[in-house]
Amino acid sequence: MIDFKNIRKSFGEREVLKGITFSVPEGQILFILGTSGTGKSVLLKTIVGLLKPSSGEVFINDREISCLSEREMFPVRRMCGMVFQQPALFDSLSIFENVAFGLRKHQPELDHAQLSARVKECLALVNLSGIEDKLPQAISYGMQKRVSLARTVAVSPRILLFDEPTTGLDPVTTNSINHLILELSRKLKTTSLVVSHDMQCALDIADHILVLDKGEIVAQGPPQTLKQSTHPLVQDFLREALNAETAH
Amino acid sequence: MPKLLIDVIDDVGNCLLFVREVMFTALTSPCSFASICEQIWTVTLQSLPTTALAGFFVGAIMTVQFTLQITTFGALGYLGGLSTSGTVREVGPLLIAFLLSGKVGAFTSAELGTMQVTEQIDAIRCLGANPIQEIILPRYLGIIISSFFLLAVGLVMSIFGGMLLGLVFSGINPEEYVRHIPTIVNKFSVANGMFKCLVFAFLLASICTYKGYSARGGAKGVGRAVVSTAVLTMVGIVVFDWLTSLITDTAMNVVLGNS
Ligand SMILES: Nc1ncnc2c1ncn2[C@@H]1O[C@H](COP(=O)(O)OP(=O)(O)OP(=O)(O)O)[C@@H](O)[C@H]1O
Ligand SMILES: [Mg+2]
Repeated sequence: MIDFKNIRKSFGEREVLKGITFSVPEGQILFILGTSGTGKSVLLKTIVGLLKPSSGEVFINDREISCLSEREMFPVRRMCGMVFQQPALFDSLSIFENVAFGLRKHQPELDHAQLSARVKECLALVNLSGIEDKLPQAISYGMQKRVSLARTVAVSPRILLFDEPTTGLDPVTTNSINHLILELSRKLKTTSLVVSHDMQCALDIADHILVLDKGEIVAQGPPQTLKQSTHPLVQDFLREALNAETAH
Repeated sequence: MPKLLIDVIDDVGNCLLFVREVMFTALTSPCSFASICEQIWTVTLQSLPTTALAGFFVGAIMTVQFTLQITTFGALGYLGGLSTSGTVREVGPLLIAFLLSGKVGAFTSAELGTMQVTEQIDAIRCLGANPIQEIILPRYLGIIISSFFLLAVGLVMSIFGGMLLGLVFSGINPEEYVRHIPTIVNKFSVANGMFKCLVFAFLLASICTYKGYSARGGAKGVGRAVVSTAVLTMVGIVVFDWLTSLITDTAMNVVLGNS
């Protein structure tokens, strides 16, 4: 359960988030749509405390977290997993060590065989195998993004935050990643927040959709409600989705 | 002008807070011994040849400089003692610290800065780990331990360099060169040199990890972090050189005065 209450965030003079309020019940998938530079990434980062809001409150399971210190945030962050917009892999570690990094912290009791099985399993979830010994520089951008997804999913967080997980990936992988998000939410009751530009996919798998423009929520609701929206930006997104569908 | 002054004070304050956080982490949740060893190994390997070479030439320079002046007084026998004393007490630690700031300092701040701007450090935080414990502490301790060690190697090499140049340039045989070293270089000189090494190592480790860790804003930010690491460590080393000279001089006066 995540609750946002009137969150504002400014960088210097510029206000990026202008009073955002919404909540996500446990086990649901929330899609956040919006044009480039409206503050979607900033929004996600305030949930895990990487950025502190200038004002307002963030509740995770009824606990206010925006006032916690860096030290107090560590246990909270163990519940959350975040997939960054850039792959953000540790470039001095192999792919195996990258995926194993969080596991070693969260489950120190795992022996090497269990660890390696879990790493293989997670890489298979994102259609990767046989690249465990490579360094991040040696694989393509799309593969790096998938590894970063595997690294986050590996620790089985209760709350998953995806910052454009499928941007720049091929349609086949995009599909399987969207499927993965759906499955995690349905089977493990994981709460997911997905930042995306892909309205079609949002209509397919989201329980709730949020459309942001210039730091404000311009439309929100379940996919069915959103389809009726008359807001020009939402209309643009819907038209885009429709075009994609007819092109198939 | 006041704005610049405020920025500087702000920066120094943040750096001190950062060092306090590193110390606190070292005491409460230390990093693994293996990760420190790995860093010591990397840093030492990276800089051993350069430091040894620089040390050698520091000794050589001292000998050449002293030869010109000492021969006028006909006291060539004291060449070894004088140049070694100068190297151990002052010039050795100073020049070698400069060299390390260019090498280890720049490398570390660039590495940490890149990790910061590519969100690798945020990723560590998101995986529920403490980046200070995971990546800063091993580097911090690694730099201090190996800088101290490298500075010591540099000093030994400089004595060797002085000896060799004394032989080639001034025609003093090594035996004569070393004879007066114990007369002039006493345990206080060595302690003085070592103390300086330690202070410089702390300074270097603090500045380069702090600057790298607080880098923001893409490749440009990393560039800025590296430049300010270089500038700050050089200025810092000179200032602290003066401070430590003051401290050790006072300390020596007290010790010698009492005995
Ligand atoms: N650390 C920061 N310091 C200053 N400004 C920032 C910072 N982070 C983000 N911003 C500003 O906040 C605004 C929103 O950024 P954000 O990264 O959230 O956009 P976004 O919605 O994720 O866009 P995109 O779809 O391109 O990823 C941008 O205009 C950016 O300039
Ligand atoms: Mg973004």
